[in-house]
Amino acid sequence: MTALEELRQPAKTLTNPYIESWKEKGGKVMGYYCTYVPVEIIHAAGMLPYRIRATGSTSSDLGDVYTYRTMCTYCRHSLDQAMRGEYKFLDGLVALYSCDHVRRLYDIWKAGKVQPSATPFYFHFLSMPMKADGETEEWLQSGLDRFRRSLENNFQVRITDEALRQSIKVHNEKRRLLKSLYELRKQDSPPISGTEVLEILIASTSMPVEEFNQLLGKALEGLRGRDGFSDYRARLLLGGGELEDPEYVKLIEELGGLVITDFLCFGIRDFWDLVDEDAEPIPALAKRYLERVSCPRMIDHPRRQQFLMDLVKEFKIDGIIIQRMKYCDTWGGEGAMMEWDIKKESSPTPYMVLEREYLMGAVGQMRTRVQAFLETIGR
Amino acid sequence: MSDNLQIHRSVYEVLKGAQEPGPRLVANWLGGVLDAVEKGRPIAYHPFTTFSEIMVALDVQPICCEAWDIVGLQVDPDHAIKSIDAAHEAGIPPELCSFDKAIIGSVIRGTMPPPSMIAQSGMPCQNAYITYQAVASLTGAPLYVCDTPYDTDEEGALEHWVNQYKGMISFLEEYSGKKMDYDRLREVVEESNRCVEYWLEATELLKLKPVPHSGPLSQGTLSGMMGFGTPEGTAAIKALLDELKDKVAKGETAIPDEKARVIWFHFQVFWDNALMSFMNEMGAVVPYVLFDDFRVEPVDTSTPEKMIRGMAWRALQAPMGKLGRGAFDAFIDDLLYAVDEWKGDCVILGAHPGCKWVTGAYGLIRDACRERGIPLLLYDVDLVDRRITSAEESRTRIEQFLTTVIDR
Repeated sequence: MTALEELRQPAKTLTNPYIESWKEKGGKVMGYYCTYVPVEIIHAAGMLPYRIRATGSTSSDLGDVYTYRTMCTYCRHSLDQAMRGEYKFLDGLVALYSCDHVRRLYDIWKAGKVQPSATPFYFHFLSMPMKADGETEEWLQSGLDRFRRSLENNFQVRITDEALRQSIKVHNEKRRLLKSLYELRKQDSPPISGTEVLEILIASTSMPVEEFNQLLGKALEGLRGRDGFSDYRARLLLGGGELEDPEYVKLIEELGGLVITDFLCFGIRDFWDLVDEDAEPIPALAKRYLERVSCPRMIDHPRRQQFLMDLVKEFKIDGIIIQRMKYCDTWGGEGAMMEWDIKKESSPTPYMVLEREYLMGAVGQMRTRVQAFLETIGR
Repeated sequence: MSDNLQIHRSVYEVLKGAQEPGPRLVANWLGGVLDAVEKGRPIAYHPFTTFSEIMVALDVQPICCEAWDIVGLQVDPDHAIKSIDAAHEAGIPPELCSFDKAIIGSVIRGTMPPPSMIAQSGMPCQNAYITYQAVASLTGAPLYVCDTPYDTDEEGALEHWVNQYKGMISFLEEYSGKKMDYDRLREVVEESNRCVEYWLEATELLKLKPVPHSGPLSQGTLSGMMGFGTPEGTAAIKALLDELKDKVAKGETAIPDEKARVIWFHFQVFWDNALMSFMNEMGAVVPYVLFDDFRVEPVDTSTPEKMIRGMAWRALQAPMGKLGRGAFDAFIDDLLYAVDEWKGDCVILGAHPGCKWVTGAYGLIRDACRERGIPLLLYDVDLVDRRITSAEESRTRIEQFLTTVIDR
């Protein structure tokens, strides 16, 4: 199996041989829902950070018992997976106020409605600010310190500054490698599809980062010699909230819309910005996580909008598709505000919002809409 | 003056000569807004969880956006719907909170005067964050949002919050061009302290069985939204309190034969004012509506620092602020407290579709009530948009539920 093929595997299942091997060696796995969780701290504690997905879920019946029909289906499916014991490889859960849905999912889990695998199961709710200024940065620093101490006390480990520096370095390396991957996508005939990239991104959140970096380094070498995709109708930017299903991207790409770049939380928003390796680690992490390319949980829409428009130029984008999970409030508002701003541009970039559920249904409808969108772009 | 404000202008014209404290409060607020529009005085939008004392002290006209639409709703039942539909047409999805959609839509339609600035204390939920960003995007008005600590027991949380609150004061000073006069602020806060004191006293009287009053203490809600820190706001709730005391002294009760006491653990349904009376006709009284549970400490006004800290803490403790911003434990604890203290026989929770922070953990509410043997009705009803659940459907659900409670 080539490095690229190996990187495409973890997206297919909830766990994978890397996690199994990690657990067999006595390693701990810390689950998290949101890219605002500072994975460096978890890694520096000697644990494997794992971004929770609901891959493989076919129904949310059990999860629905504890929540309501207006909760996003990703959270409902994830809760269902948790209640069925599918996350038994986790030793703990770290969450923050990503959105009202995730924080209630956390509350239900913490209330003991989910059978944990580890006893005791570790919970931590990080107080992550909603805006970036000097004061919130100081507050976050204290929050990260508390998180560090909490991990130390619960797991009888010591998280040294040196360990944090190493962790920052290796995660920055991951980010640089991913940026190199995205550089290749700028080409007129990119050597990699959006589907493949999403698979790689998912792998980056569900395996040891050192192994990921090694594989991605090899994959990049292979990609440099690969024939590019030239038979496409339009260069697309795919944005929105949680998206962990490569089949969704595949459907768009089968219709001729090549996903050149993204504004996704498994994507650019997770890795684009580096941590300052020369600064003290906790302040550096606080600064990076607050000032990174933000998600709509953060109150800085104008900055996000500017970044989006810069991406459109940089990647020579023909059209923007925002996929939004039904009931997602943050992307509901953000999607509308993006459209308002785009319409003010002298040459507005074609833009569409696609509503979806966690499970891919209404495929025919989606195909029709994407087709129509590509036609309006004139391709 | 723009015709887009005609509904609110007509309400003002009707109420401006009123002597009763409740209508005078509304008239005073509306008059202030209309005057600010006419004279170009600074206007600050704020949500109901951001109390307006700072704005009143700075002589910046506050508009509690939810209250603006509630007033419109009383005159034109379709007022909110028109705004909601305008928001939908602008791309705001239907599943956002209708209060917030109505605000966005009112801005789009121009039926709310444009703001000079927007100040938000960051509660109770994400819909509020989204809404005021959207309003800022539409109007170009500067926006300040206080970053709310999730867990106030966390080390440093209150200091962080107080700093954020101070930031809000600086923001309002900057964009109003005025400097805070802390003696004036003291007057305003001592007034709001009185308002809260009367409000608390009134809610205590509703613990009596049989209850002298059923349903929301609307003048409290109005005071909190439209007149916090103003003599009109205090007078309105004081008048209600005096009325309640008088009823108690005379042995008057809300209804002759109290068969069930309903803890209404949300806002009232603003477009269906007759719903409470409907329950009364069945023999059920409502001694508790969530927004009236204003269990907050008085603010120490002895120094500016203590005042700011006190106001900041109060904002965290007020209804919705306290329950919305953090973990769900507080919601369950307060629900059970309400049942115990107000001697509830059952709980009705109108599941406002936008309130995912409530319904998202519905199972925890259900389990808590089940463990205590408290009958619970959670049903879909939108507090602002009457199209989601009709008045008839509401009555059918509530009637079925209350019949089982009363027959127990």
